[in-house]
Amino acid sequence: MKNNILSVSILTSSLFLSFAHVHAATLMFEIEGIKNDAGKIYISLFKGKDNYKKGIAEAAQIVSPKKGSKQVVFQELAAGDYAIKFFHDENNDRKLGTNVFGSPIEGYGFSNNAKPNFGPASFEDMAFSVNDGDEKVKNASTVIYK
Amino acid sequence: MLRRDLIKGMLALGAGSQIPFVSAGQKSTNMVNSGLVKETKNQFNKALAHEPGLIAFENVKQNFSRNELKVEGRVPRDLAGLFYRNGPAKHERGDLRYRHLFEGDGMIQKFEIKQGRVFHTGRFVETPKYVEEEQAGAFLYEGPETKFDAPKGVGNPDTINVANINLLPVGSDLWALWEAGSASYIEPDSLEYKGWVNLGKNSQYGDSLKGLPFSAHPKVEPNGDIWNFGLGPAGRVLVYHLSPQGKMKKVKMLDLGYNGNMLHDFLITQNHVLIILPSLTTTRTQGEHSKGLFSSTQFAPDTPMRVVVIRKSDFSVVKQYELSPGFVFHFGNAWEDTSGVIRFDASLYPNVEVLHDLSHMTVGDLNKGHTNSKMALFELHPNGKTKQQVFDIYSEFPKVMAAKQGLKTEKVYHLSSAENKLFNDTVCSFEYDSGKEDRFVFGEEYLVEEHLPVQTKRRNYLVGTALHIPTKRSCVNVFDANNISSGPVARAWLPYHIPFGFHGCFVQS
Repeated sequence: MKNNILSVSILTSSLFLSFAHVHAATLMFEIEGIKNDAGKIYISLFKGKDNYKKGIAEAAQIVSPKKGSKQVVFQELAAGDYAIKFFHDENNDRKLGTNVFGSPIEGYGFSNNAKPNFGPASFEDMAFSVNDGDEKVKNASTVIYK
Repeated sequence: MLRRDLIKGMLALGAGSQIPFVSAGQKSTNMVNSGLVKETKNQFNKALAHEPGLIAFENVKQNFSRNELKVEGRVPRDLAGLFYRNGPAKHERGDLRYRHLFEGDGMIQKFEIKQGRVFHTGRFVETPKYVEEEQAGAFLYEGPETKFDAPKGVGNPDTINVANINLLPVGSDLWALWEAGSASYIEPDSLEYKGWVNLGKNSQYGDSLKGLPFSAHPKVEPNGDIWNFGLGPAGRVLVYHLSPQGKMKKVKMLDLGYNGNMLHDFLITQNHVLIILPSLTTTRTQGEHSKGLFSSTQFAPDTPMRVVVIRKSDFSVVKQYELSPGFVFHFGNAWEDTSGVIRFDASLYPNVEVLHDLSHMTVGDLNKGHTNSKMALFELHPNGKTKQQVFDIYSEFPKVMAAKQGLKTEKVYHLSSAENKLFNDTVCSFEYDSGKEDRFVFGEEYLVEEHLPVQTKRRNYLVGTALHIPTKRSCVNVFDANNISSGPVARAWLPYHIPFGFHGCFVQS
């Protein structure tokens, strides 16, 4: 009986996952204007403004840069509003280098190619939607270097 | 030690917590819309029809190609080299005109003086902003003062760096200076912009100083070492010490809690750096960029001017003094005697009206403008006492011989005005001890600009530009610095006028 319950549970889970998978989207995010292959690129994906403000990422990736452009893929995204911020850690110290007044000295960028204005780009400017039924979502941004 | 200080500063500013930008500011709400800025252009051009002196502030559309000037008198043969000047020249694009003189994109004027002949070339500083807006045929970014609809975002101060205040020869390079961001490399012959100066390059600081504010009045010691400061957010001031070749030796950030938003000049003595904070306050909050920087800068009549004395050897603050409330754009020189008394001079304003007058003038209203900065001498005593003496002499753009920077000096050279008006018509020297003056009045038809003292192997000269308003021509004037009142020994005429500029340098051959 216990085994049966377990089997049902697994079956339910896999059905649910399978259902979710059908309706989840894949995001292809293109980072352009990468000036060299040095270090890593850190990319954070946020779902919703609250999570963005709190710094709670839905997913994050660290990729090796390639001079020119690099595509980063996030899979199985549920419907919602998302935003991405990233930076090119050329000196491999695992943080965005800044000068003493907090202005970046390494490359960075935001989804929608949103631009900073006396501070980071706003969530509204960098937000993009994943809707029910979307299979593929594309977004792109050019790295801003000092 | 220093590196640690900088890191501490970074942490204090939240950089360590991955807040990566200049300041957590507000997005512009476009308090002043494009309509008003368009009206500014119309207003200026209407005023120009009956105020011919405003041609100094007309928009400049293109570079000036090399031209030989017509020389009156005789340019002394020992005076040879390159005389550079910088100032705002791109005041308008399309229907829009900037609302303050300090906003226009910089243009460098180069005068080659050799064997008695003088040649002129003028070229815009082709910063990324300039190039982008030139291609667009429109202003894309708001200035510090001018706001309009739907501007592009400002990522860091260099996004709107117009490199329009001064020039500094550094080794074989030439730096164009602004004050809220980086210096710019300028190719000394072609005047081509070559990129931002990375202040930490080839030093222990590496890239960590990129984009930091580097003010427009660096002081060069007689040994060639360069001192400067930069005003950052929240009243923090950076003090810089560089080698003659521009390599950073030392930087320190001081939290001075200064609320004035603007700090233009400073002083050095043999052993100290003097940061002198004028009696200013601002009506905008930190990061509130929707308000104009200059219009929100106000005089604080109950706030003393504050002198922060910093020891050069270890960058420690050794003493602070309070002076009567006042405002200063420019200082001449400072020095200290063996008893530790520090003396300095300033062109002292009773308030900050001049800053707003420069805005009125830029939109075509000259009536409100008047010069009210007076020659002032100060003493700072080791026991904390101060003395202040203000002379009834209009004074601006004070300069001393380069060899005397930070050392006891007999006299300061400055501009003056025979009448109480916004722009100067007189070149002058002032002896500190006797108060003796030596002056030449160009007259009402001239708008006179900064004159630089130049010491050759033979004698001392003053070299500077002036605009002759009736004929719409600019000229370069050469004075015997010891006999100013007898008038220029040579004057070289351009066949046209060049835009009003701020400051410059003379690089002797």
